[in-house]
Amino acid sequence: MLQRKRWRFAILAILPTLAIFAWVRMYPIAETLRLSLHEWNILSKNKPFIGLANFRELFQDQLFLTALVNTSIIAFGVLIVTIPTALVIAALIHHRTRSRFAGFYETSVFIPHVVSLVPAAMAWKWIFDAKLGPLNALLQMFGIPAQAWLFDPVLSVICIIVLCSWQALGYAVLIYLVGFKNLPVSLFEAAKLDGASGIQRFWHVSVPLLKPITLYVSVVTLISAFNVYAQAFVLASDSQGAPGRQVRVLVLDMLENSFRNYRVGYAASEAVVLLAIVLVLTLIQFGLLREKGRS
Amino acid sequence: MASVDIQDVRKSYGQLETIKGVSVDVPDGAFVVLVGPSGCGKSTLLRMIAGLEDISGGTISIGGRVINDVEPKHRDIAMVFQNYALYPHMTIAENMGFSLRLARRPKDEVDKRVREVAAILGLADYLDRYPRQLSGGQRQRVAMGRAIVRSPQVFLFDEPLSNLDAKLRVQMRAELKDIHARLKTTTIYVTHDQIEAMTMADRIVVMRDGIVEQVGAPLDLYDRPNNTFVASFIGSPAMNLLDGALCEDMRSVSVGNGMRLPFAGSVPASGRVTYGIRPEHLHLVQGTDGFEAVATSVEPTGSETFIQARIGEQAIAAQIRDRVAVRTGDVIHLRAMADKAHLFDAETGRRLG
Repeated sequence: MLQRKRWRFAILAILPTLAIFAWVRMYPIAETLRLSLHEWNILSKNKPFIGLANFRELFQDQLFLTALVNTSIIAFGVLIVTIPTALVIAALIHHRTRSRFAGFYETSVFIPHVVSLVPAAMAWKWIFDAKLGPLNALLQMFGIPAQAWLFDPVLSVICIIVLCSWQALGYAVLIYLVGFKNLPVSLFEAAKLDGASGIQRFWHVSVPLLKPITLYVSVVTLISAFNVYAQAFVLASDSQGAPGRQVRVLVLDMLENSFRNYRVGYAASEAVVLLAIVLVLTLIQFGLLREKGRS
Repeated sequence: MASVDIQDVRKSYGQLETIKGVSVDVPDGAFVVLVGPSGCGKSTLLRMIAGLEDISGGTISIGGRVINDVEPKHRDIAMVFQNYALYPHMTIAENMGFSLRLARRPKDEVDKRVREVAAILGLADYLDRYPRQLSGGQRQRVAMGRAIVRSPQVFLFDEPLSNLDAKLRVQMRAELKDIHARLKTTTIYVTHDQIEAMTMADRIVVMRDGIVEQVGAPLDLYDRPNNTFVASFIGSPAMNLLDGALCEDMRSVSVGNGMRLPFAGSVPASGRVTYGIRPEHLHLVQGTDGFEAVATSVEPTGSETFIQARIGEQAIAAQIRDRVAVRTGDVIHLRAMADKAHLFDAETGRRLG
């Protein structure tokens, strides 16, 4: 009886949270899945079921494929840049915690994460500007010719990766710092006595022990990088100034299909593909970073 | 193997001095136990020997070489931590061979050495497992194995048995002694458990508040404690310490209510003293022989009986090697063995005579 009462209370207690979660998380996903199998132009009441036709069309759509490739390159680029950089920065900050500047370092690394996307992207657009930007000025000081950062198809992707990584870094460093603070000191002392240098302790003790943190940070970074939009929209205008056209990304393609071409069902099928990719990649990351000996 | 010489070592954290000029000589191959209550500085001293804490003053030498400013990895010591400090992401073999791999020893040599040590410690079947898959006792053995593999000059143990249950602790104590007898490596062992200290040490260093109270062989400390602190810390159950006044006959101490407790030998003192007698040196006697006390609790353990009693306002414990028919509230008569009694200065707590 008591058991049943307890269960009832537990269910009642979590019901509001579950309801909100279902409403704001599960329902939109289910609705996207449903829409991807229908044709809908936003205005019409008629949404005919068309099965997998949207998906068949998708894989012959050159714009979508370009966006998919660009987004994937950006996402993996951000991941490859952010994770090791964040780990090293967090290690440096953690091992200098006695410094009175520790708080300053932590704050300065985290600030980019809380700065609004568009102003930050505008600032970077100025940095990368071929004629007025400080980056080219700096390169020229060393005798390196100025680059058309935002107009070259390869360089503009790199610029977006740099911007996205700069923004993702603060959060990743913060999470890694929490991880570092929770690592048992005695393990590092044992490694010190075993003869490990600072770099060896970082490589043989910190990095493996922070695997769960790396898993979390890499999943979050990858998911947010696959949803890249504003950065590309601001940075990568084409030669005629059309925003986001130089480097076409998936979210931009979805928005155009939904609200310019009025093909919501088709855009939903793109969202489903994006969801599937992120899901598969997350599962792969879980597999790769699973702790040994746990299974 | 090497001797360890600690000379007037001090440790300060800002204004706070936690180690106040400690000097200890650990002979080559000896098993020395640092013992004392929590906060006495024993672990800090051990960590200073290991190089995990800076030395604020004095010198520490290993094998005649001053190691104050030597990196831990160059001190040729190995340490076993209270929480084992095993690398959770490495197998047992990897844990044990980590130091050798860092020293870039050939893989065959590392494997051979790990297998040899694993065989000594009964870990041969667990080399491919991870620490989390082992019991507390096995993890403790791995931690020892990791230390032994390196064949260091000195072993340092920081309360290594504290996380084990009582039965396993007794077993591991014996194993540690056995390993020391085999390897004969100089060992410094920190514990707050005086039983561990008594059963394992060649020499015990009793510490309190950052100073050494007494250094000696276990039974010397037990039989001739330098002061009331050592007297009460070494031995379980603890020595009875009763406030009293030296009687005119200079052969007994009056502890109130007209009770006189005898002692043998002479003391260059008079007036207030502290009379010390271990519980096992009190005998239950019949009739009006001995001194009178009121039993406040009786604890039979089968082989012996512990009696807590009061003489006037003072508590006293007796350990009787018999089953006795005493009940709480009974008036009993106890006799102290005069030749086993200790006298201490009531003011300073120092031993008299």
